[in-house]
Amino acid sequence: MSAVDAPALALTSGGPASVKRGRLRATARLLRLELRHNAMLWMIPVVAGLFWFTTYRKVMSMPPLWYPRAAALQPRLLLVFVCPVAGAAAWMGSREARRRTVDVVSITARSRCVRQLITWAATAGWAVLAYLGCIGVVYGVTARQAIAGGPLWWPVAVGAASLAALSALGFAAGALAPSRFTGPLTSIAAFFALALSTQLINGSQSYWVVSPVVAAPWDLGPVPGVAIFYHYLPDLPIAQVMFLAGLTAAVLGALALPRNSGRRSLRAAAAVVTAAGLLAAVTAVRLAGTGKLDAHGMIAIPALHDAANDRPIRFTPVCSHTAIPVCLNPAYASDLPGVASALEPVLTEIAGLPGAPARILQASVVYHQGAGNGVSVGQAGPTISGTPPAYHLLLPDQLNGPAFTTSQLADVTRATLGPALIIQLTGYGPAASPAQRAVTEALLTDANLRPQSLALPPGPPGSSGPSGPSVPSGRGQVRTRAPSTPPWLLPGSPVVAAARRFAALPVSARRTWLLHHLPALRAGQIPLAQLP
Amino acid sequence: MLNIEITDLTRRFGRTAAVAGVDLRAGPGVFGLLGPNGAGKTSLLRMLATAIQPTSGTLRLLDRDPGSYGPRQEIRRRLGYLPQQLGYYPGFTVTEFVEYFALLKEVPPAQVPAAVATAIERVQLGDRAKSRLRTLSGGMLRRVGVAQAIVNQPELLLLDEPTAGLDPEQRVTFRALLRDLGQRATVVVSTHLVEDIGAACGQVALMDGGKIVFHGTPLELTALGEGHATGDAPLERGYSAVLAAARS
Repeated sequence: MSAVDAPALALTSGGPASVKRGRLRATARLLRLELRHNAMLWMIPVVAGLFWFTTYRKVMSMPPLWYPRAAALQPRLLLVFVCPVAGAAAWMGSREARRRTVDVVSITARSRCVRQLITWAATAGWAVLAYLGCIGVVYGVTARQAIAGGPLWWPVAVGAASLAALSALGFAAGALAPSRFTGPLTSIAAFFALALSTQLINGSQSYWVVSPVVAAPWDLGPVPGVAIFYHYLPDLPIAQVMFLAGLTAAVLGALALPRNSGRRSLRAAAAVVTAAGLLAAVTAVRLAGTGKLDAHGMIAIPALHDAANDRPIRFTPVCSHTAIPVCLNPAYASDLPGVASALEPVLTEIAGLPGAPARILQASVVYHQGAGNGVSVGQAGPTISGTPPAYHLLLPDQLNGPAFTTSQLADVTRATLGPALIIQLTGYGPAASPAQRAVTEALLTDANLRPQSLALPPGPPGSSGPSGPSVPSGRGQVRTRAPSTPPWLLPGSPVVAAARRFAALPVSARRTWLLHHLPALRAGQIPLAQLP
Repeated sequence: MLNIEITDLTRRFGRTAAVAGVDLRAGPGVFGLLGPNGAGKTSLLRMLATAIQPTSGTLRLLDRDPGSYGPRQEIRRRLGYLPQQLGYYPGFTVTEFVEYFALLKEVPPAQVPAAVATAIERVQLGDRAKSRLRTLSGGMLRRVGVAQAIVNQPELLLLDEPTAGLDPEQRVTFRALLRDLGQRATVVVSTHLVEDIGAACGQVALMDGGKIVFHGTPLELTALGEGHATGDAPLERGYSAVLAAARS
């Protein structure tokens, strides 16, 4: 041991600028030390495992569309992170008391609040970094799979802000009630607080939608068809980020309020930050309470709403080369071959006939908030519109429900849209004439569609008339009523006999007859006996 | 130059006066603070370290008033403190732990690596600089505590039981370090091991019941013990004699 004759080493020499620079450098080095020895670092493998088992596989099983994946990722990932982040933050917040270093660190020149802020920043930094890593994996894979649109960053911002808030709350719990049990207890409390925060949501208009686990209208969920035809609405995420940032500021500011936290000006600033944070959080909650389900399946908050987001997104549809082109939004381009080939027999049958659509266009879905948590879903606009007429379809993929394979989607589309197209052409309905019934059944038979469909005019919930497709209610299943064969379809009935006779005609003869008689048939002016 | 000026300093914890009307002045050099358990040494040291505030009395450290925020920060930049029970972060290496305190004490960042290395060398832990604290023995951890206390080359160094857990060889070396440090700084060593005082301190104060019952040199304390029966060494006899006189 040797003596060193030197004055005390203190960051006071030089001008204020050099002292400030020195403090910044020292802060950076302290942060580096805290990052290296942060409990959150040890939580990252746990988080990675939970992410893989509970989130990644489920999110990636969703259609390769940005909105449903981002909206599903936000709450799932938060529930993965909540326990490790809150626990690690509480552990770090209680470190000085647990390790009995309070005396020796409290007599250093660095103020308590700066010291705590650095430790919290390291905890939150690791948490956000791990979170962004998980987001990067999902978004990276989605970017390779998705055909249209781009990554949604607002859900990511909500998640990152949530982690900052959770770590601040955990850190405060650890600092205020230091104990080895604080970490685990905070983890459990934070998990239940987050998971149960949605229990009181009733409909889309609720203060509780400010909870960061709400990424989509709570009663609707992340519907795949949302944010495809219309812009993603950042209204709710803005309110959530505002709430979480306010909460973080309030908690961290409150930590700096005690007398031993630092100089008076610092504590005064902390008081202002706390008040501003509380104000922001309360304002955000009130704003969230004014939100309501908009027609496009997202939550609109009037005070935060940008009317420009209500305009539909312009897109050039991708079309099939079938007799009647089937045109889909580019986001659904991967569905086009399956849908087109499923409909091809029907489209070939009806192409060019009077009243047949010139093309089939994918439509968007409209949503309407019902009583309580009920939501009615329908097709935007009429089923047929424009000149030349275009038939508007909804793909099962646009609606909430399980994901379909390509072949399942094709089956469901053929079973629902095929009959709908023929029904629309022949004018079939409850008051249809026997000739209409016979021709409809003949065309369905010829297009390899089940004639029983006639007895079951399908339509999506909320849509009017029998011409819309029915809604799949399960994987590859179509929701149907109990099958019952009407008397006019029983074997040997005149309608069945006429239908068989009409179906047996050569295609050219059938088309020629339809070309000349279809308007009269639709008007109910053709008796059954006149069918060739 | 007086680095410590204390007048009628009192610190109460509830109804108990841990420090009761202490007057003390000390300049550069090694100052020993002796006393039995509960005498108030640690409370006095914590007040000197600005960890707790006095209940009454005046305290000036390094010619500044620690009651005000700005001067207190100035004092803290020039202060080293080893508490009686130093906690540590087991995952930190020796270097990281000392660096952590260097940064908290606002040692200029450019000088931190050299200051840390010097402090670690001075407590003879250079070969364990990269060891994690959880792998060190109690004596080594005590030396790490000393290293963090001296890393900013303090003008006022407060050591509470610094030799606890050190082996005899280390204690001898440590006393030499104290003497070196005392050449430019005021080093206050609180202990109940009188041999440390005799070997390293120029001045000694003996506390009992929150009061200073003796203030002088070790030789003067030794002289007071002549003819006193309690104690194996002359300084111990002086210690016992003063305590006995104070309590009678």
